[in-house]
Amino acid sequence: MSLPIAIVIIVSFLVVGGALTLAGFVWAVQKKQFSVKQLNEGAKLIFDDDEPIGTPQDMVFKSSANDSPNPR
Amino acid sequence: MTAPTLAREQFVSFAPHSAEEVSEKQLRVNIDESVTSPVVLYFLTGIFWLVLGSLAGLVAAVKFNLPDWLGSTPFLTFGRIRPVHLNAVMYGWASLAGAGMIVWLTGRLCRVAVQKTWALYFSVIVWNVGVLFGVVSLVFGYNQGMEWLEFPKPAGALIAVGFLFFAYSMISTFRKRQVEHLYVSLWYILASLLWFPILYVVANLGIYSGVTEAAMNWWFGHNALAVWFTPVGLAGAYYFIPKVIGRPIYSYYLGLLGFWAFALFYNWNGIHHLVGGPLPTWLVTVSIVASVMMFVPVMAVAVNHHLTTVGHFRMLKYSPTLRFVVFGSMSYTAVSLQGSIESLRSFSEVAHFTHYTIGHAHLGVYGFLSMILFGAVYYIMPRIAKWEWPYPRLIKLHFWMSAFGIALYVVAMNIGGWIQGTMMNNAALPFIASVNATKPYLWARSVGGSMMLIGHLAFAYQFLLIIYRSGPTRYVPAWFDLRSTAEKVEEKQAL
Repeated sequence: MSLPIAIVIIVSFLVVGGALTLAGFVWAVQKKQFSVKQLNEGAKLIFDDDEPIGTPQDMVFKSSANDSPNPR
Repeated sequence: MTAPTLAREQFVSFAPHSAEEVSEKQLRVNIDESVTSPVVLYFLTGIFWLVLGSLAGLVAAVKFNLPDWLGSTPFLTFGRIRPVHLNAVMYGWASLAGAGMIVWLTGRLCRVAVQKTWALYFSVIVWNVGVLFGVVSLVFGYNQGMEWLEFPKPAGALIAVGFLFFAYSMISTFRKRQVEHLYVSLWYILASLLWFPILYVVANLGIYSGVTEAAMNWWFGHNALAVWFTPVGLAGAYYFIPKVIGRPIYSYYLGLLGFWAFALFYNWNGIHHLVGGPLPTWLVTVSIVASVMMFVPVMAVAVNHHLTTVGHFRMLKYSPTLRFVVFGSMSYTAVSLQGSIESLRSFSEVAHFTHYTIGHAHLGVYGFLSMILFGAVYYIMPRIAKWEWPYPRLIKLHFWMSAFGIALYVVAMNIGGWIQGTMMNNAALPFIASVNATKPYLWARSVGGSMMLIGHLAFAYQFLLIIYRSGPTRYVPAWFDLRSTAEKVEEKQAL
């Protein structure tokens, strides 16, 4: 395979990767992933009432408040 | 081996206050139970390759100072043992452990039990067969001759099939998600699922030759880090840092901005490995420009993670997961900024083709990715094994051996590599002078590698204990320094 053709193939894949990424971005915009409401709430998605914000979560066996390095 | 039985309440340890709370707790338990066996298999086999790969790496490192050591045994010669190290830790440890973490995270972030778990079992088997076949081939001297792509094509095909089944399960889970918004970690995970198969299949097409093959080689070599390992590591960091601290990420806007800048620039970076090579200049220049533009997403991540952790640094004293993940996140900033600078032609004139690059690569794959994966394993395993880590002191040993080991390794390789490059550029000096000058730094590398291996053995031993639910029964978190103050650990005879 000659060098120009191979370079065209490589660049084509780079462009395909970019195009797929762009398609993902368009999909996200259409699904309102970047709406103010979703962006404001998104960071809290990993917390819930049982593992709330303000409570360290690196434990399965929750010790008493006296033992905790970050008491509630 | 029989493990003592504990009631679920002791594992989940919550006092329900409302039906909703019970539901959320139960949902998490259900999600964890849906992935227990696949995640353990991914982690277990990953750790096996970690230990094997580390051992091979150490043998290869010592050979730099003692080139005749084990030289009469063909399968232990440098040309075979070094690719065994590279491929075992890349396709074995980092990829399999990363996949295990992704499986667990995807269920948590989609808030749904992981779908198509049969595909995960199939994936982990085929993937491991591929790595085993590849490693055995390398041991017997069958090598494709391209860095990061040494495995013979059948091994590569098996790994690709394993990855596709893994991705099938993850995308099926994503389609069943019970959340409207995609958390930033999920963006990184989805990106890796999309990009890595394209990258790996294209690189293994075998249609390239000569200079083009070199270009493809480094497009792949760098992008393996860029579109597979880095998204995996950042997905973990964006989840575990805020989760462990109990504080949302400092700027979610910045997090998503960082992701899209990452998606825009990182794919173009690989060709900077061929600065000075016989490629069209514009192609290399585009790659250098994209490499420097990586300052944008890197600083977005660095600022975000730092400001999330500010005010909670004392938790690093207690939390094993946070300590590993924050170390990994800091390494990400360091290695990325180093990589951007390294891509510049003026810098490459000295650092290229020296040990400096080896130090840089290890800071990325080990200091960044592996440390985050260690932290992830320490967080995930007690939840799915329903058993706390029995020996926090072993975790501490693991951390310090890994942290000091990689620090020594990277500093030695960077200083030694720079000296090597400077001397090689001096036409008045014989080449052997540059070799002799690096000897102390190569010894330092072997010491660093030995320390990391000790840490891995401690990690592997404790992992075996937790999957067998063996060792002392622990009713408090396996935090550092907690045992001496709490006095609530019920020690039982190890089973």
